[in-house]
Amino acid sequence: MSTASEGGLAGLDRLLRNTFEWYTVSKKEFKDAIRSKGLWLLGLIFTTAFIAPVALALYFDIGVSQQGQGLGMQLLLSQVYLNMVTLLLPIVAIFLGFAAISKERTSGSLKLLLSLPHSRKDVIIGKVLGRCAVLGVPLVASLAITAVFLTASRLTFKPELFGLFSFFTVVFALVFVAIVVSISGAFEKSLWSGAANFIVYFYFTFLWNAGANGVGNILSNELGVTGAIRWHVVLLLKLVNPNQAYKTLVNSMLGSGEAPALSARYGMFSQGQEASRTICADVLNGAPQAQEGVFGTIVTCAPGSGSLPFYYSDPAVVVFMLTWIGIAASISYYTFNLADL
Amino acid sequence: MTAIELDGVRKEFGDVVALNGVDLTVEEGEVFGFLGPNGAGKSTTINILLDFVRPTAGSATVLGHDVNEESKAIRERIGVLPEGYDVYERLTGREHVEFVVESKDADDDPMELLERVGVADAADRRAGGYSKGMKQRLVLAMALVDEPDLLILDEPTTGLDPNGARKMRDLVREESERGATVFFSSHILGQVEAVCDTVGILQDGELVAKDSVEGLRAAAQGDMKLVVTVGDTDGLDAAIEDVRALPEVSSVRADTDRVTVNCDGDAKMTVLNTFEESGVAVEDFETQEASLEDLFSAYTEQQEVEV
Repeated sequence: MSTASEGGLAGLDRLLRNTFEWYTVSKKEFKDAIRSKGLWLLGLIFTTAFIAPVALALYFDIGVSQQGQGLGMQLLLSQVYLNMVTLLLPIVAIFLGFAAISKERTSGSLKLLLSLPHSRKDVIIGKVLGRCAVLGVPLVASLAITAVFLTASRLTFKPELFGLFSFFTVVFALVFVAIVVSISGAFEKSLWSGAANFIVYFYFTFLWNAGANGVGNILSNELGVTGAIRWHVVLLLKLVNPNQAYKTLVNSMLGSGEAPALSARYGMFSQGQEASRTICADVLNGAPQAQEGVFGTIVTCAPGSGSLPFYYSDPAVVVFMLTWIGIAASISYYTFNLADL
Repeated sequence: MTAIELDGVRKEFGDVVALNGVDLTVEEGEVFGFLGPNGAGKSTTINILLDFVRPTAGSATVLGHDVNEESKAIRERIGVLPEGYDVYERLTGREHVEFVVESKDADDDPMELLERVGVADAADRRAGGYSKGMKQRLVLAMALVDEPDLLILDEPTTGLDPNGARKMRDLVREESERGATVFFSSHILGQVEAVCDTVGILQDGELVAKDSVEGLRAAAQGDMKLVVTVGDTDGLDAAIEDVRALPEVSSVRADTDRVTVNCDGDAKMTVLNTFEESGVAVEDFETQEASLEDLFSAYTEQQEVEV
């Protein structure tokens, strides 16, 4: 029985090796990195961070009222996990990948790797995919453990919701690993790679939105590009940030209205009345509605006659995120390929 | 077919010229010793063959393939022991060799290769814990995977004890008998002399000599080593300058009152007379036939003086 399955595995191994030129590198990469103790420590921290809120709710009854039980899952995801993932996961990705290529370059193991019949392209792709697996495996494991805890807690467990959340989270993690490993390929020293990675992380996490809005202001004030075009540009810029893309995807998934994706995209803006109407009607094909609130008029966005443009839909946002893997790897390949080792 | 061909290869790093127009041909089946002091450009040459660095000018082929454009095809057929490498700390010795076997789509038995180089006992230990010599043997085992047509060994005896170095030479002979071409770089002549058919000497980025070991030895045999012991070291420096200026003399080295002169075989009296004429009394002298070692030292004298 076991020999048969081993034969199957060996066959699969050979098939993958013959099909994908990067496979051998990524397999070595996975074997090597998965044995790092630091990595397992990070995995443990991550699992603890995921489980802690659930465990608190489970054992101490904190924040779970009678009616809260039904909504609890959504609250947990949107209030706790969403921020935790966007802040913490990229840092884990950086720790895991910032030296992936630069360390091999400094130590000289890259010379062993490249004296074998691997092209520099295979090395970049193999490294990116290998490290993706290294983060992906513990992440999926910790999500699974969390799911078990959730089922045991008083919160109503919604498998579809959690499944989708896990999927987006894994995609987000992979995108970050790809970016991190690619940056590593562009630098000669791990220190520089680490610094560049933290700048990129900081920029994506804290500064990108301001930058996107800034571009919008320049378009309107300096170049006279106003109205819908301005907001199209701003929204696209916001969506190419994997961090924002991930947040809006999760918000869309959690939304309860009849057009959750529309609300989620609309929720990426906080503009004045006039701009909000333009964004809702002309950019997102929705129907703006004014509501009188305590703090003045608030414009909300209801589904309009047309549907949300396909390039702002949830699947499109997932594609945006995945494109990053390709962009990062190509830039990295370009710089790495030119370098003298 | 030629195994390696360099054609006017020049490499600059910033404003440092590492290689200054090197032309070199290594025939298939040859064991080629690539000699030169540290910093002469041996590793840069090898790095160009492996496409780790790209030449500033000139071109190179390995086994008939262009080193840059068809690098992968080259690396399918060669085995390399690079200089300044490191192993993967967390992978075992066996996993290292398995990785190469899979990379080359070969069917070698990793254990067999590890036995050949003498690290089979440590096959299942992580390579991070290996000694320098064990790592060197491991990487050699990796280079031997899939019976490569060409072995490129960059300073392969570094980190090996005399026994290990002898084993390395035996392996080179075995591989050569199998039909492989071996390109073997070293800064120690003794390592090369014992196994190589042809020797090239690189100095300051230029190939200063290339001949068969016999050819070089014959050239060396025309030479003589004259060791002169002087009675008084006063005025010795001036005398040495005079001797060095003689056309028959290739090099002079002084060690307090003993002066070693490499010169043409029939120049003994001229040298001794020059010492006397310069006012330095010769107390004793002996002659030896120059060895290849002396020839190598003569070529790379600057380096030897520093050492």
